[in-house]
Amino acid sequence: MGTPSSASRPPAILSGWPLQFTKGLLIWIVPVAIVWILITPVYNRFLTKAAENLVRLTESPAATRLQLSETHFFLITRNDMPMPRGYLAKVRVTDTHFTLIMLAAFFLAVPGKSLKKRLEPLGWSVLISVFFHIVSLFLWVKFMYATQLGEWSMEHYGAFARNFWGISKHLADLPFKFGLPVLLWAFFFLGEILPRRAAK
Amino acid sequence: MAEPKASKSSPPREEKPGFLQVLAQYRRELTFIGIFVLLLGGGFTLISLQPVNDHVIEPFTAGIAKVSGVTLNLLGQKITMKGTQIRNDKFGVNIRNGCNGVETMIIFLAAVFAFPAPWKARFVGLALGIVAIQAVNLVRVVALFLTGAYFPSFFDSSHTVIWQTIVILFGVLLWIFWASRFATVPTSGPGAAPAEPA
Repeated sequence: MGTPSSASRPPAILSGWPLQFTKGLLIWIVPVAIVWILITPVYNRFLTKAAENLVRLTESPAATRLQLSETHFFLITRNDMPMPRGYLAKVRVTDTHFTLIMLAAFFLAVPGKSLKKRLEPLGWSVLISVFFHIVSLFLWVKFMYATQLGEWSMEHYGAFARNFWGISKHLADLPFKFGLPVLLWAFFFLGEILPRRAAK
Repeated sequence: MAEPKASKSSPPREEKPGFLQVLAQYRRELTFIGIFVLLLGGGFTLISLQPVNDHVIEPFTAGIAKVSGVTLNLLGQKITMKGTQIRNDKFGVNIRNGCNGVETMIIFLAAVFAFPAPWKARFVGLALGIVAIQAVNLVRVVALFLTGAYFPSFFDSSHTVIWQTIVILFGVLLWIFWASRFATVPTSGPGAAPAEPA
């Protein structure tokens, strides 16, 4: 983390920092995307299983099964209700974690830091992101149960619960999915762009 | 950040910083993160409220659909528009939340307001940033429509992964450029030189 120094105006190196960062982003974005594409099938399988375990922890009796489908989706099924299509809903797992591309590119693009000093915070950030992805998929399932299954939803979830799961899924699916890479980057590297304090 | 004062009588020792010292060390980062999370959560909660969605977001999105339709017509597509929908004989899309650039605008707004900077710099950055984000979003909508019309098998990946990543990356880069170039704080602080005694 950079420590701001006293100066009457930003030092010259600062003016080049955003450009170097942009260059770094352009260099890293393609390799990072390729790695993400390669790991996506395995990661989707892991996330599906982890989300299923989390959902089943909150159920009594545990009735939910999440089945990976066509690499990028999981199907939500329950063994205690009829499913004319063979599943209750289909969720695109890959959409939950493509922001990993942004996250990795942001961290690796930081100029003036050794690879080790970029990889270590990236490792921690990926770990936090993995937890976030599991919770995010859990919220998807709860949102489906609470709001999308008609009479069954009304019977099993009250007004507060429906709003709670709805807003939680909404916040996880949009703002915090996109905001998390920025937040994690800011925690580790904000000092690089924090304003130098101008003398009075 | 205030430097820890070494005792006059004993030599300075290397000590592990305590929790409060770590908090103090990361104060500006944590302040940024706290304000950013509040504005982000607040902003998205606000636009999810039905009256805000109906009276602000929907008309705004319809405006985006109209501009996109006009641009596509200029490119030789014979577009018909209805509310937030644009279509021709090959393809049709309904522009919804997530495709109107509002998410990126809120992330940008949250980052600009959470960053320590003069208010004038914030408002100028915000105004210019919103225009730039909407310009990129227009390119996105037009490109996605053309992808759907001519390369439909690429539409899903382009829609979610590629263009959402590009628009968010663009918003973050804008913020970084703004923060690095225009945001300076004319204050004395822990990092500033101490004032000379009169």
